[in-house]
Amino acid sequence: MKTRIQALLYVLFLILFFSCGKAKPSIYKKTKPLMDTVVSITVVAGSAEEADKAIEKAFSVIRQFGDRINFFSDKSELSAINKNAGITPVRVSAETMGVIERAIFISEKSGGAFDPTIGPEIRMWDFYKKIRPEDAAIKKNLPLVNFRDIIIDHDKSTVFLKRKGMMLDLGGIAKGYAADLALAGLRQDKIAAGIVAAAGDIRAFGLKPDGTLWNIGIKNPRQKSEADELIAKARLTNKAISTSGDYERYFIENGRRFHHILDPKTGYPAGQCRSVTVISDSGVFADGFSTAVFVSGPEKGMELVREAGVDAVIIDKDGGIHTTPGIKGMVTFEDSH
Amino acid sequence: MKTVIRNTTVADKLLFLFMITASLAGIFISRAAMPQGGEVVVEINGKKAYAFALDEDRIFAVPGPCGDTVIEIKNKKARVKEAHCPNRLCEKQGWISKGVIVCLPNRIVVSVGGRSANSSKEVDAITG
Repeated sequence: MKTRIQALLYVLFLILFFSCGKAKPSIYKKTKPLMDTVVSITVVAGSAEEADKAIEKAFSVIRQFGDRINFFSDKSELSAINKNAGITPVRVSAETMGVIERAIFISEKSGGAFDPTIGPEIRMWDFYKKIRPEDAAIKKNLPLVNFRDIIIDHDKSTVFLKRKGMMLDLGGIAKGYAADLALAGLRQDKIAAGIVAAAGDIRAFGLKPDGTLWNIGIKNPRQKSEADELIAKARLTNKAISTSGDYERYFIENGRRFHHILDPKTGYPAGQCRSVTVISDSGVFADGFSTAVFVSGPEKGMELVREAGVDAVIIDKDGGIHTTPGIKGMVTFEDSH
Repeated sequence: MKTVIRNTTVADKLLFLFMITASLAGIFISRAAMPQGGEVVVEINGKKAYAFALDEDRIFAVPGPCGDTVIEIKNKKARVKEAHCPNRLCEKQGWISKGVIVCLPNRIVVSVGGRSANSSKEVDAITG
């Protein structure tokens, strides 16, 4: 009898032990202020420790890259390039070279609608203090904006800006590239699924623990009530999604909206769109092309996305929605739209 | 009662014990899986510093490089009541009942919401 009880207890113990012991993969998420914005990393992992380790490592990848291309820091590689404009080429890291090369690629593809040499113009604006530069000053700096004057030497890993006063600003592409770098780091750490979101520049991979796709909200560019009101939702994986909008940093003066996405050809905010969301295989292209399409406007922008082989949701200046066929089944619009 | 106890076998007792354990486990499992009532979490420099229930009104200060940031919880909403950073965007954002308020200069993230329920209706991230 005693042995039977012992045997029963043993079986019971085993059942209880195994039903609670093995942790199922769960979703873990952490948020940190990095690159002058908010970065959130979500991973699917077997334990909090495993998730924490991978997320912290990915954060440090982003921090390191952010430090290298920080427009405002004297110590960054980007500042070294800008300070030496018209003087001498500057040797840079593989990451900085990588993002500049891709910036030039998107500039060429978009015929200059995207241009990382927008620095001399963008630095004169202050969208928080509502400072708008004089028309003459904008005009004066315009000849300094030209991506064709960025000289790359691959053998020596150097970047040179041809003319004095030129300035690179990678704000329109760096966050997408940072998401790419962080995701590569997570994959190295054997994380099979997750999301890297550098503000609105998002890369998702793998599937959620319940086997479903990631759900990414697209903000309504004209929020009616509460913050984070959505205009659509995208269900996807192994894709990058980025949005450029006229509502992030802006001020309104005499009924006119002045926002942070400048047209490199005029030096003034591009006025044909409210927001552009691009879905691509890589973060850097989603980020860069969303800016390029925003500046190009809905018509030329659609041509551009077709050529570039990416998908897009364009909301024009009147609120009209333009989409590529590829978003069918991936993006659903909210009922009110 | 006594006869009932006397008539139960060891196996009966074990089964009874197992059922109690299972039902208790059920409570804990469903608690973990269901969204909790709202919670306000304050992170400083990426580290969780405070967590309060959303349904208890309170005002508290969080230190940072630009001075104290005063956070208020009231009527199941939260806001940054007072901030000393240059643009005070966090203060201008006003009351939120879900989502996040971020103060970059002070490196403070205030997030409001239940623990994620992983429901397909909720989004995992927002672009824009």
